[in-house]
Amino acid sequence: MQHEAAIREPLILGHKTYGDITHDIVAPIENKAPRGWYVLMTIASLIAAYGTGCILYLISKGVGVWGLNKTVDWAWDITNFVWWVGIGHAGTLISAVLLLFRQRWRMAINRSAEAMTIFAVIMAATFPGIHMGRIWMAYWVFPLPNQFGSLWVNFNSPLLWDVFAISTYFSVSLVFWYIGLIPDFATIRDKVTKPGMKKLYSILSFGWTGNAKAWTRFEEVSLVLAGIATPLVFSVHSVVSFDFATSVIPGWHTTIFPPYFVSGAVFSGFAMVQTLLLVMRKVMKLESYITIKHVEYMNIVIIVTGSIVGVAYITELFMSWYSGVEYESYAFINRATGPYWWAYWSMMTCNVISPQVFWFKKLRTNLAFTFFMSIVVNVGMWFERFVIIVTSLHRDFLPSSWTLFHPTWVDAGVFIGTIGIFFTLYLLFARYFPVVALNEMKSILKTSGESYKQRAETHHH
Amino acid sequence: MPSTKRYWQDLAQLDQAADVIKGREHEFQAPTPLEEVLGDRSFQGASTDRRDFLKFLGFGLGAATLAACETPVVKSIPYVNKPEEIVPGVANWYASTYYDGNDFASILVKTREARPIHIKGNPRHGLNRDPQLDKGSINSRINSSVLSLYDSMRLQGPKKRDGENWTNAGWSEADDAISGQLATIAGQGGRIVLLTPTVISPSIVAAFTAFKAKYATAEHVQYDPISYHGVTTANMRSFGRRAMPGYDLTQADVVVGVDCDFLSSWGNTTEHTWQYARRRRPSDAGMSKHIQFEARMSLTGANADERTAIKPSEVTNIVISLHDHVAKATGGAAVGGTDASCDAATAHAAENLLKARGRSVVLCGSNNADVQVLVNSINMMLGNYGTTIDLDNASNLFQGDDAAVAQLVKDLEAGRVGALLIAGVNPAYTLPETEAFKAGLAKTGLTVSFSGYADETASLCGWILPDHHYLESWNDFNPKPGHYAVAQPTINPLYSTRAWGESLTRWCGQYINWHDHVKGVWRARLEAQGGNADERWYQAVHDGVLVGFVNAPGAVTFAGDVNAAAAAAKASVQGAGEWELQVYTSEAIGDGSHANNPWLQEMPDPITKLTWDNALLMAPADVERLGLNRYIGQEHPASVCKVAVNGVEVELPVLAAPGQKAGTLAVALGYGRGANGEAVGRAACLRDDDGKPMPVGRNAYPFTVRSGGAVSYDVLSVSVTPTGATYPLALTQTHLTDMERHSVVKETTFATWAKHDSQHTYNPPHLLAVHEDVNGDGLINALDKKPVTQIDLWEEHPVEGVGHRWGLSIDLNSCIGCGACVTACNSENNIPVVGKDEVRRSREMHWLRIDRYFNSDMTKARAAEESVGTIAMYTAMERPAENPRVVFMPVMCQHCNHAPCETVCPVAATTHSNEGLNQMSYNRCIGTRYCANNCPYKVRRFNWFNYVTEKFGQVNPAWDEVGRMVLNPDVTVRARGVIEKCSLCVQSIQAGKFAAKKAGRPVKDGDIETACSAACGAGAIIFGDLNDTNSRVRNLSQDERSYHMLEELGVKPNVNYLAKVRNTEAEEAHHA
Repeated sequence: MQHEAAIREPLILGHKTYGDITHDIVAPIENKAPRGWYVLMTIASLIAAYGTGCILYLISKGVGVWGLNKTVDWAWDITNFVWWVGIGHAGTLISAVLLLFRQRWRMAINRSAEAMTIFAVIMAATFPGIHMGRIWMAYWVFPLPNQFGSLWVNFNSPLLWDVFAISTYFSVSLVFWYIGLIPDFATIRDKVTKPGMKKLYSILSFGWTGNAKAWTRFEEVSLVLAGIATPLVFSVHSVVSFDFATSVIPGWHTTIFPPYFVSGAVFSGFAMVQTLLLVMRKVMKLESYITIKHVEYMNIVIIVTGSIVGVAYITELFMSWYSGVEYESYAFINRATGPYWWAYWSMMTCNVISPQVFWFKKLRTNLAFTFFMSIVVNVGMWFERFVIIVTSLHRDFLPSSWTLFHPTWVDAGVFIGTIGIFFTLYLLFARYFPVVALNEMKSILKTSGESYKQRAETHHH
Repeated sequence: MPSTKRYWQDLAQLDQAADVIKGREHEFQAPTPLEEVLGDRSFQGASTDRRDFLKFLGFGLGAATLAACETPVVKSIPYVNKPEEIVPGVANWYASTYYDGNDFASILVKTREARPIHIKGNPRHGLNRDPQLDKGSINSRINSSVLSLYDSMRLQGPKKRDGENWTNAGWSEADDAISGQLATIAGQGGRIVLLTPTVISPSIVAAFTAFKAKYATAEHVQYDPISYHGVTTANMRSFGRRAMPGYDLTQADVVVGVDCDFLSSWGNTTEHTWQYARRRRPSDAGMSKHIQFEARMSLTGANADERTAIKPSEVTNIVISLHDHVAKATGGAAVGGTDASCDAATAHAAENLLKARGRSVVLCGSNNADVQVLVNSINMMLGNYGTTIDLDNASNLFQGDDAAVAQLVKDLEAGRVGALLIAGVNPAYTLPETEAFKAGLAKTGLTVSFSGYADETASLCGWILPDHHYLESWNDFNPKPGHYAVAQPTINPLYSTRAWGESLTRWCGQYINWHDHVKGVWRARLEAQGGNADERWYQAVHDGVLVGFVNAPGAVTFAGDVNAAAAAAKASVQGAGEWELQVYTSEAIGDGSHANNPWLQEMPDPITKLTWDNALLMAPADVERLGLNRYIGQEHPASVCKVAVNGVEVELPVLAAPGQKAGTLAVALGYGRGANGEAVGRAACLRDDDGKPMPVGRNAYPFTVRSGGAVSYDVLSVSVTPTGATYPLALTQTHLTDMERHSVVKETTFATWAKHDSQHTYNPPHLLAVHEDVNGDGLINALDKKPVTQIDLWEEHPVEGVGHRWGLSIDLNSCIGCGACVTACNSENNIPVVGKDEVRRSREMHWLRIDRYFNSDMTKARAAEESVGTIAMYTAMERPAENPRVVFMPVMCQHCNHAPCETVCPVAATTHSNEGLNQMSYNRCIGTRYCANNCPYKVRRFNWFNYVTEKFGQVNPAWDEVGRMVLNPDVTVRARGVIEKCSLCVQSIQAGKFAAKKAGRPVKDGDIETACSAACGAGAIIFGDLNDTNSRVRNLSQDERSYHMLEELGVKPNVNYLAKVRNTEAEEAHHA
């Protein structure tokens, strides 16, 4: 058994036994859901239904129901797409990268973070689909053999790279997540008594027996998948950034975009994890497992990535001046002082200035403040994508084509709707899936559990 | 039970009656004696043998066919192709003529499968044709007129008033009733008045002569809604000839315009355009210098080298001052009263005019005869008669007599008119005294309108006998001495309509159809001249034009009284108030007769870029002073002001118009039609969701006044009151200035151009530092630079020197910004009309737009000099100068050889052709719009909705079953969700290549024209093969003025621009 330095704070609070862990995590699945869940579920599913209605309206009428125009051909649609993809990144980072770095604190949050990833990627993938003029031809973006002549996709197009990046990312994340769920499903199967549920979880657990061989393979597969998923953390958002970086539009045509986008993605992803977990640990009574320590760690990630993003913003400004390119320099002056100055300064405030308060330990360990900040960061990151997309397009090369973008109620409805769908999926997950990787938690109970640590300490003395 | 069901046809079958069973076996109960007939040997010797049988058959068929032809076949002669019949898929072009009282042009009509679908200027004949360029100049009103043929709101037959209602009548019923009534009226000595615009048709004149012979009390009053009465009166007073002179701007080294929009609305603009444009191309022999004085920034003023903003009331001052400056130098008589306020500007203009005596012209748009007498005097002193101004071949156009019209209205009101026949005018809408006219109309016994619509006037008449659309009718014209033009029908009349001239002939008892009448008039004339009259008639129909004699210019003696004129002119501008208002005709809508045309309603105004509305144009400084909205955009509506004068109150949205003289206002005529629910045409008056009429814009005709015998379009004192309300306006361009982006617009002065050192002055190449020793100094450093044109990021398309490489050359100097190319493109390429609300959302679908840039007082040089910060500089640059310089820049797909759109499409829906075209495959497009985002020129258009639906049915011709007949069958109507853009008229390229291939020769330069290049009579857009070393486009692309827009991006367009050159020394153009 590994030993952990006493100086490290415990990751599981209270005098938990293995049985307690199983009980605590399976309890919400076995028992009736708390009232709060029903309230949240009602709200989320209503919003989801409205959003679905907006999407159907959009598809039936045409993309014109959005506020786009001849100059700004992408706005909220691709803003939302990039925003959702970005949010997804935290899950993969937590489950894959932190696994490789053997960060044990990840075990309490990786399951729900990964779930968030999958739901966020689903939401993200919605937008490139529905933003198409002819969504019924969407399958043409896949390199499928066809009888339309020798028609093939255009491998030069960053949008095509997106198709590959997102679909790979989604499938790997899904497999990784599900593999991790198998032993936990088996635990639930063994614990629940209702025959229907037993049957369901028995199917979901793929006949997991829990013998040593299975566990060995489980660990190996986890490592392999973590290895595969790790480059994806960096590649997906890099590829998304290529949509802009490879273009000719001032404000898009920037080599700094890949690292800038990846750190921005992690930044927003951790903020979303905070938003979700701070509610969940309260509602599901998981305070022993998702501790202040976890929150603090995540806040540290937020401050680091937020600072990277801030440096990127300033580098962009510098380059626009240093390049001496008239259009480039105007694009950034226009961002900061043009008609969309409020979006730019919202972005700057939310993403660069506000996370700096986490230098204060008191604030980064304050749950209510963290929750507030997580919202602020996600608002800021949405504005970042909006600023990049809309302010670059609305005034590009020819002043004759300059115009403004005004969103419509459908723009808003679809965006809010995807938040509703996302939360509906997440609430279903929280109700029926083990929200904490309980078997993994058990593996650190004796090293990082509070009571064991105390016992070890007294034992030594 | 039986396992299968049985069905019986009848009870007899059920009963299995024997005769029924038997009968069923023989369908024909009586036996056919076929065997007997065929077996009869006697038939073999009969006289009808096989050959006779075929003869009978042939005769029978022929007789039946002839009997089936009710109307006699009238020969129309195709122009380019002369097919024996219509070849499906091949267009036939017919020469014809357009005349509507304002515009006159010789045109070619493209028909496909017997449907006219496109109009361009006649490149071989006509007043509007540049003989050097072989192009016919037309404007957007003319090439859009093909669409009004297919207006489903046209009347479909004669209508008779029955109390408050209308009943359909037959032609013979109408003829009987009306000719009977006319005879009664004439018999009682009642006056019969025919009210028309200026008639230049010899056939109409002949018809009216016959009419007058039958009805002795008949008289003809000519009424031009846009009056030139002051000009013709002045010529009467000055030279004893009541006419508009002919102008030859090709002879004019100096043109001074005083409130005269001679390129858009004053005089015979289609003729002025090519003449003016020819002298705007800089050459070592010089270019013309154009000085303009005006209140509103007109299309003409926007093209001027130097422009001075003046108030309408100052026109008199300017003319007098100019007169006296010229008089001083030429020894003429000064009229006194040189006003110091404008002295510098007029002295400068006079100086230029005096340098070009006999090679200059002063044009004045005032309808005041006294002012025009002074203008005549100036031109006389300058010796311009006989060179730039031709009185001996004066125009027959614009002969309307305002005094006669005013008298007619009084007579009508007094009930002194027995019958009023109205053709081609809409006085109930256009007259200054419409109420008096309407009252008079009600008192007139017989009122007949020949209007094609139940419009404002026709709906008040007793009869409406709809005239043909001009594309359905024969006609002839005599626009000036010795010049005759023919209009031939290009389609059978769609509805039961009749040429109104034919009605006149019928009412005098001649039952002759209009074609025979026209031909008869011509035959008589041609026979008198000798030669084969038939042959010459057919030649005239084929060419559209017959040119006879031209009068030799004779001596001109000026007999006007300049002192009296000056005194009267000064008196006429007394009482100018705080606000002066000018009403004008806009480029798209004209006098309002085109308001029903959706192409024209959606064509942006060349200067304001306003569509689907007219607005109160106000100087930006005044807009700010009144605290009104200056920036107009999708969610930024215009402030509404009430303009009041003499009891006329009109509420209008205010549009800040750079160049507008402070304290002056301008409103376009021709809007607000159908306000009382008249059926004036599809797009002129839209319907809201409840079916209530929603007029497009507001009617400004009530502002016109009669002054000094002529209609005046200047109102010297009006009051303006903001109402606090707002009203959305749809502009296609919301940003005003060019932000001093030199790689977009390049301009210089003539003096700089004449140094022929463009590389180091106004047109420097874009250089990029490279990692090779370019300058050969042994070092690789920042001094080693290569032009970006020599650097490729991608592999080059193998189009250079291989096969064809199509391209355009656009001359910013020849382009006058009229927009004829925009509507020509709409017509050729089935561009959807999307309506005001979508235009307001920046979603107009035009493949070709004309960017209009104003310059700003703030420049980078000035900012550096005055230490203005960058942000402040850019903010200041967004504001145009008070009297800005203007650049018109036609922009369509640039067909880049390294097209940014092509690389980003995920499904390869936009690709490069081996002829250098950037092609769009609509079928493959899935509508990600990435290409549109990545297009630096923003020329790609997305089908946001299905435009062929009821939602767009009021505006989009493609929705209406009649309207869609105008669609070009060679071009797909695009579906919802796909991107579209300029194809360089690939259908015409293919047709041209095919024609050359059939003729067994290579494609020649000039074989193929795009719609825009063919429409541009100014010769600003030249299409051709860049790989053809002798082509015009190739030569132009190597001109010193040639540049590619945004060259530094390295996208290598196939469209090049020729830098704008201004002939001014006042201020070095900013990039020199």
